Amino acid sequence: MSYQFNWSVLWSGQSGGWLLQGVLTTLAISGLAWILAAALGILAGAARTVPWRPLRAAGTFYVEFFRNVPLLVWMFFWYFGVPPLLPRGVQDWLFNHRAEFWAAMFALGVYHGARMSEVIRSGINSIPRTQFEASVAMGLTTFQAYRLVIIPIALRLIVPPATNESLNLLKNSSVALTISVAELTFQTRQVETYTAKAIEALTAGTLIYLVLCVGIAWFMARVERRFAIPGLIARGS
Amino acid sequence: MKRMLSLVVALAVALSLAPPVGAQQDTLAKIKESGALTIGTRTGSPPFAYINKDNQWVGFSIDLVEQLVKPSVEKAVGHAIKVEKKESTPPTRIPLLSSNAVDLIAGTMTDTPQRREVVDFSLTFFYTGAQFLVKKGSPIKGVNDIAGKRIASQQGSTNAKIIREKYPQAQLREFPDQPAAFQALIQGQVDAFTNDGIQLAGLKAKSPNPGEWEVVGDFYSEEPYGMAMRKGDAKLKAAVDAGLKNGFESGKYFEIYDKWFGAKGELPYPMTPTVKAYLLKQIGK
Repeated sequence: MSYQFNWSVLWSGQSGGWLLQGVLTTLAISGLAWILAAALGILAGAARTVPWRPLRAAGTFYVEFFRNVPLLVWMFFWYFGVPPLLPRGVQDWLFNHRAEFWAAMFALGVYHGARMSEVIRSGINSIPRTQFEASVAMGLTTFQAYRLVIIPIALRLIVPPATNESLNLLKNSSVALTISVAELTFQTRQVETYTAKAIEALTAGTLIYLVLCVGIAWFMARVERRFAIPGLIARGS
Repeated sequence: MKRMLSLVVALAVALSLAPPVGAQQDTLAKIKESGALTIGTRTGSPPFAYINKDNQWVGFSIDLVEQLVKPSVEKAVGHAIKVEKKESTPPTRIPLLSSNAVDLIAGTMTDTPQRREVVDFSLTFFYTGAQFLVKKGSPIKGVNDIAGKRIASQQGSTNAKIIREKYPQAQLREFPDQPAAFQALIQGQVDAFTNDGIQLAGLKAKSPNPGEWEVVGDFYSEEPYGMAMRKGDAKLKAAVDAGLKNGFESGKYFEIYDKWFGAKGELPYPMTPTVKAYLLKQIGK
């Protein structure tokens, strides 16, 4: 087999524009989903550790329900399952305003929120119980203790696993192509279809994902260093 | 290990030399001798060729061979022959032909310029092209009505490419497979689903409420189906084409079409005047 490499297909014609659009869509969907996942993760993660049973049960239900169903199924659920429950007018408005994008964003955010909450819960559980007791002894309510003491410490402890989760979220955004979101993987395949140059197109896609992920990992490492609590985390370097 | 490798290489060389030797052979002479025309056809592509409820291998393409091509080949070889069927699929059909396992591919093969470099095609015996599947009464009646509308297509299909390039005002939504696109149409995520007309007709027929859907529009892409033969086999091609031509002229072809695609047929897909004109133009009418 002699394969003729032709790397110029990546920037000639429309390929470059498509790939750029793909990157922007991937970043938009992942960014929004990440905010949703972090918010839900903190809420559910904290809820599962509070000394009040109904809240713990609600947190546990959310986590187990959403993380134990494949992401692909959630994509279909939000895209095909949810709209028919809405009034016809709202449906039409949504379909004309990138319903697939929002469905994918919710699927990704809610699914990763459930996974993120486990990371946050383990961060909270790693804080000695006495911290919480000391906060309460100083006159803080449970809510205040969580908001001012427990969660700020927990968030600093969990940066490495949270980075891991964030990278997974970014990569999982590729599943959105099944509900017709034109994100990076979709555009990579589009370039492949148009140019019949599979190796070039897939290499471009691979490199872009790699750059995005390495960039995020680098940024999170800086965050970790910047917000480390001296004495609380044993640092390797 | 080394010996095995050299064996493999020797085999590969032998195989790569073999086809040109067989390729020059006269298939009609072979049929005359063996008394059988071997066709490669499909087992699961209704209504073109499939195994029906009664376990019979039937279909539109098979009828065309049995009723139009077979008499013509019989005339050419001078005695009665029988038609033998073998299964062929898109990835296997060209290798089956070039290895002499079958003499004629009669199934659902689209006649394309790329394929013409490897095989010869008969006259076109079925003609389809991209159309739209819409809810009955939809304002979309064809490719000119899709501006601003949400149109589903299959990822990587030629139809998607044409819509994107020539009709950029349409909002194109590309799905990985046919069921997902149809689901989006059912729920109203999209206003129409575009694909080869015959595929849409099949999808409509299989849906729970076929009456709710309509296949609309003139073809905006071309998918002519032909029967494929080994390249350069002029005598066989002449016999096959003569059979089809005779069918078009006598009207027998249209009877067979009606049996499978007519209102009471296996898959109703009425022939448009444009298609009829295209088919007849091949024989100079």
